[in-house]
Amino acid sequence: MSGKMNRRSFLKVMGWSGAGVALTGCDMPTTVTLEEGKEDVVSYLMPEEYVIPGVGVWYASTCTQCAAGCGIHGRVREGRVLKLEGNPDTAVNNGKLCMMGQAGVQGHYNPDRITTPMMRSGGSLTPVSWGDALKTLEEKLGAVSGDRFAWFTGTISGHQSVLLTNHLDAMGSTNHYAHEVVNNAVSRAVNQDMLGEANPRLRLDKAKMIVSFGADFMGASQSPVHYAGQYAKFRTNKERGLLVQIESKMSLTGGSADLWLAIKPGTEAVLALGMANVLLNKIRVSDAGIPSDVLSLINQYDISKVVKITGVTGDRIQRVTQLLAERSPSLVLAGASVEGQAQGYATTAAIMMLNHILGNVGKTIESAGEFPFPQLMAKQGGTADLVAFVEAAKAKKLDAVIFHGSNPVYSTPKSLGLAEAMSNIGFKVAISQFPDETTMAADLVLPVDSYLEDWGTQVPADQTEARAIHVQQPLMEKLNAETKGLGDILLTLLKQRKKEEYGQFEDYYAYLRNAFAAMPTSVKNEAKNNDEFWNAALQTGVIKVDAGAKNLQSTVVSFAAPVVDDNAGLTLVPSPRLGLFDGRHANLPWLQEAPDQISKVVWDSWVEMHPDTAAKMGIGNLDLVEVNSAQGSVKLRAVLLKGMHADAVAIPLGQGHEAYGRYAKGLGVNPLQILDATTDSKTGELAMYSTRVTVKRVGAADSLSIVRMGTGAGDSQVGRKLVGTVPVEQVRRTEGT
Amino acid sequence: MSLNNILNHWSDYRKGAEEGGHHEYEHRWAMAINLDLCTGCNACSTACYAENNLAVVGKERFEKGQAMHWMRIERYWDQQELEHPEQGASFLPMMCQQCGAATCEPVCPVAATYHTPDGLNAQVYNRCIGSRYCSNNCPFRVRYFNFYSYYESAWPEPMEQQLNPDISVRDKGVMEKCTFCMQRIRSVKDTAFMEDRKVKDGEVVPACAQSCPTSAIVFGDTMDEDSMVNKLWKKHQVERGVYQKTKLAKKDADLRGYRIFEELNVDPSVMYLERVREDI
Repeated sequence: MSGKMNRRSFLKVMGWSGAGVALTGCDMPTTVTLEEGKEDVVSYLMPEEYVIPGVGVWYASTCTQCAAGCGIHGRVREGRVLKLEGNPDTAVNNGKLCMMGQAGVQGHYNPDRITTPMMRSGGSLTPVSWGDALKTLEEKLGAVSGDRFAWFTGTISGHQSVLLTNHLDAMGSTNHYAHEVVNNAVSRAVNQDMLGEANPRLRLDKAKMIVSFGADFMGASQSPVHYAGQYAKFRTNKERGLLVQIESKMSLTGGSADLWLAIKPGTEAVLALGMANVLLNKIRVSDAGIPSDVLSLINQYDISKVVKITGVTGDRIQRVTQLLAERSPSLVLAGASVEGQAQGYATTAAIMMLNHILGNVGKTIESAGEFPFPQLMAKQGGTADLVAFVEAAKAKKLDAVIFHGSNPVYSTPKSLGLAEAMSNIGFKVAISQFPDETTMAADLVLPVDSYLEDWGTQVPADQTEARAIHVQQPLMEKLNAETKGLGDILLTLLKQRKKEEYGQFEDYYAYLRNAFAAMPTSVKNEAKNNDEFWNAALQTGVIKVDAGAKNLQSTVVSFAAPVVDDNAGLTLVPSPRLGLFDGRHANLPWLQEAPDQISKVVWDSWVEMHPDTAAKMGIGNLDLVEVNSAQGSVKLRAVLLKGMHADAVAIPLGQGHEAYGRYAKGLGVNPLQILDATTDSKTGELAMYSTRVTVKRVGAADSLSIVRMGTGAGDSQVGRKLVGTVPVEQVRRTEGT
Repeated sequence: MSLNNILNHWSDYRKGAEEGGHHEYEHRWAMAINLDLCTGCNACSTACYAENNLAVVGKERFEKGQAMHWMRIERYWDQQELEHPEQGASFLPMMCQQCGAATCEPVCPVAATYHTPDGLNAQVYNRCIGSRYCSNNCPFRVRYFNFYSYYESAWPEPMEQQLNPDISVRDKGVMEKCTFCMQRIRSVKDTAFMEDRKVKDGEVVPACAQSCPTSAIVFGDTMDEDSMVNKLWKKHQVERGVYQKTKLAKKDADLRGYRIFEELNVDPSVMYLERVREDI
């Protein structure tokens, strides 16, 4: 500004000197009273410690909007948290944050939060005091014999997980069901068998080419911000990375592919075997380490057969495979739509085998090392636990269950029979922030703090270059006096069982201080004492941990031959979306109003179909249709998109809530409810992507039928240069990449 | 402000822009958005809602085109002749382009939208009378009108506590749009002034650029020779005040930088880098 006095700085100077005059004219600068004893006018002349009026201060914490565990910075001003941003000190998200993380403040300030404990009496939930709630809890849990008690949660890690495990021990039970709709449980099983590590570190940034079979790594995945950051490096490397996405419904990641290939749903294993066939028999890559039964399976799938089954052209298969062999190291990924098939394990194994053949293991798939605190590691959810839970409850093996961080009443397919299972459980407790479906079905509801009010630690399951324990601290005072932190509730439960052991901790904060003090000096990073270590951990939000170096094994397991149903008709893709995710964020208005990335629809459900498929059934864009499976039907609008295979229809997840507050309730439909209860035989995970459906038109398009951003089905640039596209050769010449 | 006055100043300004600028600019804030890195994920858009007190309008009003998304992701389908979009989708983050020769400015009857010494199109909410001429004249459709008092429904208690106190909540009858996070610029400029130094490159980061998981958005001052954004503009031979009929003015027409609707000569402050695809 070169010292020039402009209008604004003039006013500013005047303002300051004006304030000075006011102060010197006043006897008591701390409190200026308008009328003696009546009203304090300028309380901020003597603000609270650490509060500078008008200045926002950023505090580090950890996001819990999904299980990725990104580090955040929250801007706090005058005691309120206003804005969340990524914490640059964390290797998971490197200072970046996705839309769900940004919207975390809307969960915290949500008008539909539960503000008091509630107990079921006479059929409905009525407010009770914490004293009564805890007394009932102690009585009921005291009357349950050990193995008839269970915890039902989402993915959980850190010290909360330790306390939960300890509570199970104290109860004499081992039943911890961890349920996540968006999960990679099948990949974890395959990785464990083939690589010796369930969660190896994926290095997209080191790959010259990625072939992704339905892995929406930048969308609703295990760590979207992390993989988006790696994707940016992959694209800006000296040699620009090449992305080929093969799936039946275009995902967010598919939208960024150099080549997007539509594949007949359920035939991905055949394509992977066909590519292996080309690699071994045409390109003559070594078949070392491949078991003979798998080799004979590969040899059954020559190109012509694969083309017939998958619907992908022979040229494309050959070209993509050729490039994979040329551009080493590459990376082949399997995603939810592959894992969630009736033969999910076999299909995922067939795809992961390509990494072995291409020699990618150790180059783009690394060992994550040995995390020195196994008890803090994430207990990752899947759907096998959901199935096991329902079976146990149906068999009347559970008398008391505590639910937290998962909403099974919403997300369990009707065909599993959850309603019956729930009615068999005598005492259901929900530790919950919102009146979601599961909470409304509980007998006792304990209101929990939002993650912006609570203490905790998180250990991200998806491994990055720098492994760490992420620290979660309250960014502001509680909004509601009657909510309690998850850690505090766990500690209270433990005190009810093991007073002598846990009585020493006044609250969860005291427990955490104690746990941090007990950490080995190797992680304390030269802190002089425990206070200094604690303060440093709160300041940066991360405790860096040396996980050591390990090598992965690279083996191929035997897997079942693909089974392809030629007369499958239409397959339903229940696609999770970055935003509403598995439905947990349907109560956040920013995310409801953010258009779906591919279809651009807001505030609704819809079914995506290829125009050719729709035309055969006489369905037009935005027509009302009925989607029928063997388990039930849903009515919704059709959105015709070419990013679909003709044999697939997709209904995005997230809507169809019967409870969950004003923003979520009564919007759209829930496709999870009409899924078959088929499971993958090897892992027991639900085959969520294998339900067959029929679609029929039941009504015409009308105004307000569906609301979307943009011009409708075409969405063409109409000859304008809005988004220009250039071939990579041109960029190689001009920019040398 | 008489009509005569407006017309005089307008032609004066237009001539000035071509000769290097009529204004005595202090800064010229600008963006470079790499469309090859944009994945259309909506992080920028949601960050904008959080930073700028944007109201959620609901389904019915969204349908009428009244959504207040200052930063929106447009999605286009190319290759419409093919059975499938084999090169994926074309995503375009679109916000106010802060034109150097903005078409919204001269039509405002009350000069509520004007050009700041920072090179931004500022909107003075208190002055706006809601004629909506500016929105009508904007080729990018990035101005958003408050048809209702959204604050009555958008932030039910206690959601209003999230509102950013650095900027206002707009009321019915007022036009609003992307400000390049004016409040963040303001705060950094104030700090620099107090410390008697220049604003450093990278000090001002708008909410969208801050959140972008792939760092597709680069923000900075093109008057700062060493700024990243200035280097990118130079590298791609996109210049202010030089009206390029598409790419004709460039020495190397194959460079990726371009501004949308260049042919309208509105001199936008946002340069996009073309999406890259490998044809295999």
